[in-house]
Amino acid sequence: MNILVCIKQVPDDSVEVHLNAEGKPDLKNITPVVNAFDTYALEMAARLKESSEGEITVVCMGDASAKNSLKNCLAVGADYAFLINDAAFEDSDTRGITHVLKNAAKKIEADTDKKFDLIFCGKEATDAALGQVGPMLAEELGVGVITNLIDIQLDTDKVTAKQETEEGYRTVESKIPCVVTVSKPEYDPRYPTIKNKMAARKKPIGNITMSDMTNIKAEKVGKENTLVNAIKLYEPPKKEAGVKIQEETDEDSALKAVAMMAEAKVF
Amino acid sequence: MADCKDIMVYVETAEGNPVKVALEMLSPAKELADAKGGKVIAVVIGNNIHDAAQKIAQAGADQVLMIDAPEYEKYNMDVYADVLANLMKEISPEVLFIGGTQDGKDLAPILSSKFEAGCASDVMNIKIDDTGKIVFTCPLYGGTILEDIEITSFPKIAVLRSGAFPKLEDSTTGEIIEKQVSISNDCIHANIVETVKEIAESVNLEEAEVIVSGGRGMGNKDDFKMVEDLSNLLGGVVGATRPAIEEGWISKIHQVGQSGKIVAPKLYIACGISGATQHISGIMNSDYIVAINKDEDAPIFEVANVGIVGDVKKVLPIMIEEIKKIKEAQ
Repeated sequence: MNILVCIKQVPDDSVEVHLNAEGKPDLKNITPVVNAFDTYALEMAARLKESSEGEITVVCMGDASAKNSLKNCLAVGADYAFLINDAAFEDSDTRGITHVLKNAAKKIEADTDKKFDLIFCGKEATDAALGQVGPMLAEELGVGVITNLIDIQLDTDKVTAKQETEEGYRTVESKIPCVVTVSKPEYDPRYPTIKNKMAARKKPIGNITMSDMTNIKAEKVGKENTLVNAIKLYEPPKKEAGVKIQEETDEDSALKAVAMMAEAKVF
Repeated sequence: MADCKDIMVYVETAEGNPVKVALEMLSPAKELADAKGGKVIAVVIGNNIHDAAQKIAQAGADQVLMIDAPEYEKYNMDVYADVLANLMKEISPEVLFIGGTQDGKDLAPILSSKFEAGCASDVMNIKIDDTGKIVFTCPLYGGTILEDIEITSFPKIAVLRSGAFPKLEDSTTGEIIEKQVSISNDCIHANIVETVKEIAESVNLEEAEVIVSGGRGMGNKDDFKMVEDLSNLLGGVVGATRPAIEEGWISKIHQVGQSGKIVAPKLYIACGISGATQHISGIMNSDYIVAINKDEDAPIFEVANVGIVGDVKKVLPIMIEEIKKIKEAQ
């Protein structure tokens, strides 16, 4: 089983992001981390590998700072890691990103002379939460996609996946190769052992640039070639805060609040 | 083709009825179509879906294309995407609207790829600027920042957030057109073999007029019942934050917030909820917010009309008693 996991580095989503004085998201003091759903994807891939043999390659589009995220992936189940980095890719939209990921996958396949059977992505990134890249990548590759996975099983020529839904789950089968996107399974991603961390530090991280990919189309990538353009960023209008009640006792507070609600005729 | 001004709306159905967001999408669709001089063309796919098509025709669509055949009885992403792609080629709409349901969020990027169409996700607002450009508003970073975007491609695809647009008040009578779409089986990569509903109850947070929600501050499953009691008393629906759900006090179908349901009730009561961004951005459209929390600096108080700083477990029983009295006196 040859598995590709696509990860994205995002600002730690436990920290609130606001605009800075220049009107840009202020990310300066926020630690970059691997997108949570991508860590679930890697964990699911690692478990699959352990139960059926195989190898995991992780790719990340981003600048050199993302190498750290890739090292972390090498410590928790990934065998190979590649940074896809080129100034030409900066500020690509999802079409551009998908185009680059597809060509990077093709390049790795050609170099190793091994096709990927499964491509894992997180169901969405915690920063923009678009959830587009997984299905788009599948469409570009002409293969199937199953989204929002919470479990996966492998047969010889197909996967059977448990797709989370609002009311429960669906069992979905797809031919191999296919793309899967992962939600939060019942288990948590593993922590790296010291030994794995040391080993990961010694592993090389490959670099893939524009010129490494023979079939890439320059007119699909980068800021100049987006189909979706930002016009402006702003913070949502603050709802005006109302009355804060803090009487001597909770009982008094409760009574006062109910009186106000009654006056406002909300029940 | 780029002079086509029609707005195509994909209407998802559930148990034979259009989902709520499908009806909501007709209002911005109508607005865009009117401004551009085009039509609202709704598409319904399924088996025996005449009733759903009828409802859409009466709810603001100029035309309803009904793709009604036994092979569409069960949802299959590949098949539905192919049907929609075929219709898009035929109609060549300027914009395709898809409702932000789980399946809608899958179909949109697939179609986006097929047509090299820019795709806006989780659209909360749509307007046309002075130059006639369509501007979509989408959240970033869990909703702390909003982004206005434009899509430069033709066609454009937009996934609209459920609950963000009001249904049209004046209904019209559109024309229902039955259509055959032939698709090839080659398009099918994956199949749903089983659908399991683990949650039997039906919870309609999006249409609730009153929602009483509980968070981590409720402390345990037993005390969480007070939230349910107050909700029952007010004829409301119970909501919850992610921590309350992860604690197992209530099922995830009750989740309110960015990763749960975006709600807009007349009355929202937040019990033991501190107010993480993800939660607050999901309740911002509520008319009247009441919050009970022991931490006077909790962010929830910044959006509450009435904030009670106190122990939720002591405040709730008194509120319940008092509201009971008022209700009985009415």
